[in-house]
Amino acid sequence: MAALLRGLRAGRLLRRLSSVVAAPTSTTPKCSSRGFHCASLRLKDESKSDKHSASSSYSSSSSTTHNEYTSHQDSDPSSGDQEQDEEYETEEQLQARILTASLEFVPLHGWSMEAISAGAEAVGLSSASTGMFINGAGDLVLHFISQCNSKLTEILAEQHNQVQLGQAEYAMSILLLPHNIPESLKHLSTMVDDIWYYAGDRSTDMNWYTKRAVLTGLYNATELVMLQDSSPDFQDTWTFLDNRIQDVTNMAVTAKQMQLTGEAVAQGLMGAAVT
Amino acid sequence: MHRAAHTAFCDWPQFVRPAMIRQSLKCTGCLQNSTRAYSVVPAPRDSEEKEMMHRMLRVDHAGEYGANRIYAGQMAVLGRSRQYQMWDQEKKHLSKFNEILAENRVRPTALLPLWNLAGFVLGASTALLGKEGAMACTVAVEESISEHYNSQIRALMESDPERYTELLQLIKEFRDDEMDHHDTGLEHDAESLPGYWLLKNAIQLGCKAAIYVSQRV
Repeated sequence: MAALLRGLRAGRLLRRLSSVVAAPTSTTPKCSSRGFHCASLRLKDESKSDKHSASSSYSSSSSTTHNEYTSHQDSDPSSGDQEQDEEYETEEQLQARILTASLEFVPLHGWSMEAISAGAEAVGLSSASTGMFINGAGDLVLHFISQCNSKLTEILAEQHNQVQLGQAEYAMSILLLPHNIPESLKHLSTMVDDIWYYAGDRSTDMNWYTKRAVLTGLYNATELVMLQDSSPDFQDTWTFLDNRIQDVTNMAVTAKQMQLTGEAVAQGLMGAAVT
Repeated sequence: MHRAAHTAFCDWPQFVRPAMIRQSLKCTGCLQNSTRAYSVVPAPRDSEEKEMMHRMLRVDHAGEYGANRIYAGQMAVLGRSRQYQMWDQEKKHLSKFNEILAENRVRPTALLPLWNLAGFVLGASTALLGKEGAMACTVAVEESISEHYNSQIRALMESDPERYTELLQLIKEFRDDEMDHHDTGLEHDAESLPGYWLLKNAIQLGCKAAIYVSQRV
């Protein structure tokens, strides 16, 4: 889901990524004609040395916070040293590393245990270590989502690059499986909260709830439209989104006007009652 | 698209002030949750602490919001009175908590509309009992709030007084203000109300229930 927003923003907003946007098709083979058109982050070029700092900044599939990770790293200094030294690495960090590596195999094997096995082997472990992931493909998708969300936060704050992967519809259908729903809802709500925060919302009353509810609806609708969209550069989706935002603004204006009218009417009635 | 969305969010009437947006977008570097020039609440170390802090701030915010509404109800019935100064201080408390909540991305309690109504009704109905009724209500509520702040201070002191110095200072300051209000209420013949004991305990029971629920919802 977060990948949608990233796709929307990258395609249009971030001009400095236009050169990177042209590149992705060479590194990741598109498996469906409706794969994401996003800017790609060359995971291979993100040097191996970056992997530890990268994995330390990615939340694991159990969605620990960014602060928690840096404190883990701080308290286990040796875990940052070598890739082979797993003695002080927590299980979550190990899982995160495997899942991150597995993402490269998704275009080949799909969102499945095979991708995770391939990822485990790429990291240097036997494919039997996939036994750690009892939720299978769900773990992989949730890991991808949390990676996407933390990156989205970075983008919103500092405008960074993004990741491209195909098979969006299948990923989303996995997220809708009942045992995945609580986690995916949590990710969705965090993302919506982040978006509103960086858009400048500082409300501390009912508006907090109404705004987030509206944005969630808007986001889900736009995501579904994007899946069906085959226009060049997702033009239709952009138009849809613009129209929906216009609707929301109109609705807010109307609500405000109704409130003012109601107050005026009440005052008028009070005045009439008094006289 | 970005500009359209940005404008749409900006024009959300009455809800978002444009100056705040410009300011918050300008210092995007400052929007990371780890470093701040000055912050009352320290950045949480792990999700447990974050939960605990958020819960505390949420219930404090709800409490100040409710207190504001109680005073508003009393003022609506009694007009300008001694309550006015106390209400002013409560408004300051509330705006401080609004600031803290926004800064620390704390979710406000979903029961705010309920406290809005309940507070106003409580204030108005006790004010209808006369000036002593209003003072009795003030005494009861301020006593509950002070007790609540005290238990929070105790909890923070037990866990790590140095880490929470600023927050402790803030809560102590607010607690002292609430105690002042309590004493003012007593000075102004709160106890002379018939049925004082009954009213006081009923209100305090309600406050305890409100605190319990606001921490969780």
